[in-house]
Amino acid sequence: MATQTIYDVIVVGSGASGGVAAYTLAAKGLKVLCLEAGRMIEPHKDFHNHKPPYRWRYRGHGKPGQYGKLPQGMEWKINEWTDQLYTIPHDDPYALAPGAKFTWTRLRAVGGRTLVWGRESGRFGPLDFKPKSMQDGFGEDWPITYEDLEPYYDKTEALIGMSGGGEAVYNSPASRNALPAFNARCGELLIKKGAAKLGMKTVSMPLAVLSKPYDNRLACHYCGACNFGCDTASRFSTLEVLFPKMQKMPNFTLRTNGVVNRILMDRNSGKARGVSFIDTTDNQEYEVVGKAVVLGASMVESLRILFNSRNREFPQGLANSSGTLGRYLMEHVAFNQLSGFFPELAGRPSTNDDGPGANSLYIPRFNYAKKSDKFLRGYRFTVETGCSMGPGPGAELPGFGSAYKKRIKELYPAAVNIGGYGEGLPFEWNFVEIDPDGLTDRFGIPQVRFHTNAEYDNAFALRDEMYGQMEEILRASGAELLPYEKRNPYPMGSVTHEAGGARMGDDPKKSVLDGWNRCHDIKNLLVVDAAAFVSHPEKSITLTIMALTIRASEHLAEELRLNG
Amino acid sequence: MDEGRVSRRNALKYLGLLTVSAAGREFLASWLPMQLVRGDGHRAPVNISGMHHESQEPEAVATYSPQFFNPDEFRTVEILAAMIIPTDDAPGAKEAQVANYIDFVVFSAAEFEPLLQRKWIDGLAFLGRESQKKFNKSFREADEADRVKLLTDMSAPERDPNVKHEGFAFFSVAKDMTVEGFYTSKIGLIDVLDYQGMNYMPDFPGCTHPEHH
Repeated sequence: MATQTIYDVIVVGSGASGGVAAYTLAAKGLKVLCLEAGRMIEPHKDFHNHKPPYRWRYRGHGKPGQYGKLPQGMEWKINEWTDQLYTIPHDDPYALAPGAKFTWTRLRAVGGRTLVWGRESGRFGPLDFKPKSMQDGFGEDWPITYEDLEPYYDKTEALIGMSGGGEAVYNSPASRNALPAFNARCGELLIKKGAAKLGMKTVSMPLAVLSKPYDNRLACHYCGACNFGCDTASRFSTLEVLFPKMQKMPNFTLRTNGVVNRILMDRNSGKARGVSFIDTTDNQEYEVVGKAVVLGASMVESLRILFNSRNREFPQGLANSSGTLGRYLMEHVAFNQLSGFFPELAGRPSTNDDGPGANSLYIPRFNYAKKSDKFLRGYRFTVETGCSMGPGPGAELPGFGSAYKKRIKELYPAAVNIGGYGEGLPFEWNFVEIDPDGLTDRFGIPQVRFHTNAEYDNAFALRDEMYGQMEEILRASGAELLPYEKRNPYPMGSVTHEAGGARMGDDPKKSVLDGWNRCHDIKNLLVVDAAAFVSHPEKSITLTIMALTIRASEHLAEELRLNG
Repeated sequence: MDEGRVSRRNALKYLGLLTVSAAGREFLASWLPMQLVRGDGHRAPVNISGMHHESQEPEAVATYSPQFFNPDEFRTVEILAAMIIPTDDAPGAKEAQVANYIDFVVFSAAEFEPLLQRKWIDGLAFLGRESQKKFNKSFREADEADRVKLLTDMSAPERDPNVKHEGFAFFSVAKDMTVEGFYTSKIGLIDVLDYQGMNYMPDFPGCTHPEHH
């Protein structure tokens, strides 16, 4: 039998957490294996961010019904531009408990969802790490503070390359290592003025997109189609920024098409000794061994692996002596945007408002001084304005014929959509488990069942508050609001910011991971993706995932260096 | 040549900028698989298609023959589309051949969404019956004014949600698909709306109006 390589670290996943972990560890000289479930991506072949709708057979929508019934939040993601990237839900179904909803967005390829992500990269603030002790007593505190993570936020920003975000507001620290902010569109400036009348501050959005060349990457060329990929590495993805660096390191190995199904344990030491995985090219199962295992497979997949690794010592799931594995799942409170138009912008010539593919400005949480008796925590707003790939607000108006057509053209450059996210609360009863009815994927790996419900009281209360604020902001900005229907808070996973299930904490009875992302029960097994999260503020979470990952990986590297 | 798009020209200018800096040259070397070597031996900026720069022109289409609607039905679809998005001082559904698009999509619905085919067959039949009842003619043979009257009646629930009309569901499908078919065509999206995304721009000025700042 051939001698098997013993890696220092086996990293599962290649996205925002796995990719960043692999890079951090490999850059320290460790022997790293990164296992990615999906295939390698070649930007010039796999991204179609310059293909206009009329060059697709079905104008980008696919054949009617081709993608099956898509859950809320996926219908805009999967189209002819992206259907080779995402997992189509009906190709790999998952289970839902009766009445439960979960939108599970999967992208199995090197880079994971960093290939198509929203690119908002703000930091959490001090209050976000201590919501229980510093805000209102609900939920749990993180076992770390903002100050603990601050140097890693600095490192992450410098690593990924980003622009804007330089204005600090209360509990929303500024980006430190950012390139100049992108310019704002007319509509954004009108919103800023309107919001100011209401006493709300509008600030620069920190984006993981380059406004200038950086790190041998090109600046953004403003095609605005980042959701379909990026052919110039101008927006951060682990694929285009980290993997080329890693591929130059002889101590690094990437193995694609490897779906990890279980963590292997050493019975004597009680430590992890490696993983087993299915090679999707030959459907065979393989084992690899290492001194440590880092799970960065994305929240749901990491939880799934831990559950599927259960054994005699951990019958409720590996590293689950607390019983909290899979529980306290969280997501942003999200719902439909409000649409309208600015009469003062109507009829102007079209401009490129796609720009760097995301809003340059946003309204951060401001409701700190005045505590509401209706809801806990807070919310923030973003706007999309101006010309876009769609016909704009005029198309929603009643009518047909020449007047209708002229109104579409007139209102096309005047569009405004305002949306927001509210903080999601952790509840013990929002959880995921392995499907008890035995659902598996096509490799025979037991699949998950969600018991999740985003329609709880605090979510409705935040939503109502936000609808009201959004209407006021539009009015104060001089916009006309189109009629809208109130929608229930969207299912968990709809905005692809699902978090929790293996939360960090100081108390091993109430958490899965310690303050260094190590399982309390198995110290050489780490979880670095959003499963580790303890709270879910209104802010975007990816920068925090990456900063936590760098911190945990550097700590692990130091441990391995000291202990051999 | 569309001045506003200038995508090919912009792209060449943009790519020309890349070769100026060391960072740009290294980027070109690592990321872009094809380089054009001109006859004089100098390396030109990357081949457009190597940078996955899509042609912004629609593919040349041979004459389209309807695959789903019969000739009378297809003529009715053409009329409907032209009523919803007419040719006025700008091209409309006729120039953008929206009826071809609708026929193609409805035809393609057979595999996964046959209900869409039912909606059109039933809807066109409804239109024919109503037209016979009111005008003693098929929809496509009726006067334009009469057709507008019928469509206006059918769309009444758009203007007043308390009002119902048997033909409203079909009106909505026809309107949605016409709007979709027109504004995703090159004529609708580029010529009429002058959409400027999916392009190569060297900078993003944002708002240039002093009164907004």
